[in-house]
Amino acid sequence: MASVKLTNVKKVYDNNVVAVHDFNLDIKDKEFVVFVGPSGCGKSTTLRMVAGLEEISDGTVEIDGEVVNDLQPKDRNIAMVFQNYALYPHMTVYDNIAFSLRLKKVPEDVIYAKVTNAAEILGITEYLMRKPRALSGGQRQRVAIGRAMVRDSKVFLMDEPLSNLDAKLRNQMRAEIILLRQRLDTTFIYVTHDQTEAMTLGDRIVIMKDGYIMQVGTPTEVFEMPHNLFVAEFIGAPKMNVVRTNLIKEGGKYFVTPCGAKIEVTGEKANLLADKGIDSREILLGARPEHIVLADENDPGAMVCTLEVNEMMGSELHLHVYTEDGTRWIVRIPTIDLSTEQRKALVAGAKLYITFEGKAMHFFDPETEKNLIYGE
Amino acid sequence: MSKQQNSMKQHMGMKAASRISNTVVYIILVAMSVIWLIPFVCIVIQSFRINPTGMTRYLLVNPEAALKPGLEIRFGFDNYIRLWNSDFPRWYLNTFIIALVVAVVQTVIVLCMSYTLSRFRFKLRKPMMQFMLILGMFPGMLSMIILYQVLKDLGLALENAVPGLILVYVASSGMGYYVSKGFFDTIPKSLDEAARIDGATRAQVLFKIILPLAKPIVIYTILTAFMGPWGDFVFARYISNGRIAAYNVAVGLQSWLATDTMTGQNYTMFCAGGVIVAVPVVILFMCLQRYYVEGVTGGAVKG
Repeated sequence: MASVKLTNVKKVYDNNVVAVHDFNLDIKDKEFVVFVGPSGCGKSTTLRMVAGLEEISDGTVEIDGEVVNDLQPKDRNIAMVFQNYALYPHMTVYDNIAFSLRLKKVPEDVIYAKVTNAAEILGITEYLMRKPRALSGGQRQRVAIGRAMVRDSKVFLMDEPLSNLDAKLRNQMRAEIILLRQRLDTTFIYVTHDQTEAMTLGDRIVIMKDGYIMQVGTPTEVFEMPHNLFVAEFIGAPKMNVVRTNLIKEGGKYFVTPCGAKIEVTGEKANLLADKGIDSREILLGARPEHIVLADENDPGAMVCTLEVNEMMGSELHLHVYTEDGTRWIVRIPTIDLSTEQRKALVAGAKLYITFEGKAMHFFDPETEKNLIYGE
Repeated sequence: MSKQQNSMKQHMGMKAASRISNTVVYIILVAMSVIWLIPFVCIVIQSFRINPTGMTRYLLVNPEAALKPGLEIRFGFDNYIRLWNSDFPRWYLNTFIIALVVAVVQTVIVLCMSYTLSRFRFKLRKPMMQFMLILGMFPGMLSMIILYQVLKDLGLALENAVPGLILVYVASSGMGYYVSKGFFDTIPKSLDEAARIDGATRAQVLFKIILPLAKPIVIYTILTAFMGPWGDFVFARYISNGRIAAYNVAVGLQSWLATDTMTGQNYTMFCAGGVIVAVPVVILFMCLQRYYVEGVTGGAVKG
């Protein structure tokens, strides 16, 4: 159990590619922090610098107040789970889990107790005498987690641990990681490119792009108050609809005018815009697919559009539509709200009217792509 | 004839054709192995011939013996006994010491070199590998004359050829890293990383993780390192330069056939020496053959 502090951490590779720029983050004791971002954003590199597997080009990494820049991985008291499991193929599951303890010359009976305990928690007791190649992907990842568990390390690092598993198993293991976290009660740093994993696992999420931190915040913060367009589009699936339009201030009220419609900004958002003293201007308007609804033809906020693709997701439909000006939108409609006739009418080429709620909009500066309300 | 019978007949025809082609292939293979094995069989037979002791145009029966009694071929163990009482045990020991030391030292150097080039990234790594590749294209014999001078000045030639030869064979061993580096490259780097996080030092990673996984290539390296000096003639001949006590088996055996007269006396003993030289190699290969094949092909397939 320990805090981890990264101060001005920078990574420059030999070919002068800068993978991480000036990374600052304070991870509290027992916190679960997720680094998330598209591939090549520097999230794994940052994690590997904490682990000691990559040299730190500049800045400092502290674990529990101690600067660990020049410490070998083995002296940092960390545990790590890799994407490809990295189990030792020539050893049995038992030996794999016991490896670190044997290196530390822990007595065999203590090792036995620890390994069997970890195996029991992870449900792999019956496989202890098998070689990794005789296990399935999910079992292998459990062994990898077991190997990290027995070390009682200060920080638990996970580098895309679920990426090699199929979707169903991934969901199951995600839940198990949440349970594991409650049980271990230690500091976690978890790297993923999957925003769902980030949202469900993290106490705090660090969203990265091209080596820069885009936003740090709780799942609710990054979802509801994205600092910039990148975060807004990255978090949430399907991604946020964004359209270039105008924000109009009229008699103390704000309106947006996407695709010929006129929709009033309501609720807290309107107050916040007023507080910031924002005037009429061009904006990038963001609306999440789940906040878009089918509208009545006569609604002043309705936009007429044509249905292109209708994806049946089970409990909801994902409608891909385009408005007259060519803007594409994705709309999430819960199937339960639709009658059978309505559902039958939703075929490619059908004409629809959509609108969205005034309280669920996001406004971004078209130049800087910063959120007009929350952007720093 | 029904359709089914028709296809049945076709099937039988194909079966017969494949049987014929298999037979032809096997006949060719058997012929090749016979041709391959004949020299070895001849050497073994001749190593037991005690009369006459020179080269002959016949193997088992002397056609002239019917006319002139006393020319009959006789077989026995005399050649091996003569071997034992000659300089041969000394040469054998020399060769064995050289090959054993070289096998151990060269294996260590090659494996360390391969691990380093496979896992570490440092400046000049690529230029160094290219340089060694080009250097390796020159025949080693180019360096022979200068090596002899250097070793002689160091007192490691002539009577002291054994340590001198060990030095020569071991010196260039780092360049033989290709095969094992290729094999190491196929072992995922994340295994190293996992082990290092688990608390292993670089050396422990090499010995506890990489080498157990690279067993075939370790065996391959040991075998090639042993075989090089075991069969070497050119360097051994040149560096020992006529000092009989410092010969290795190849040089020693060849010295028995230096003149026609000597060949007449020693040829069958020479054959017996050849058989003895082959014994440890045959045993080694029989034990390690499985790994040897895996080692040569394993790296390529796994990647």
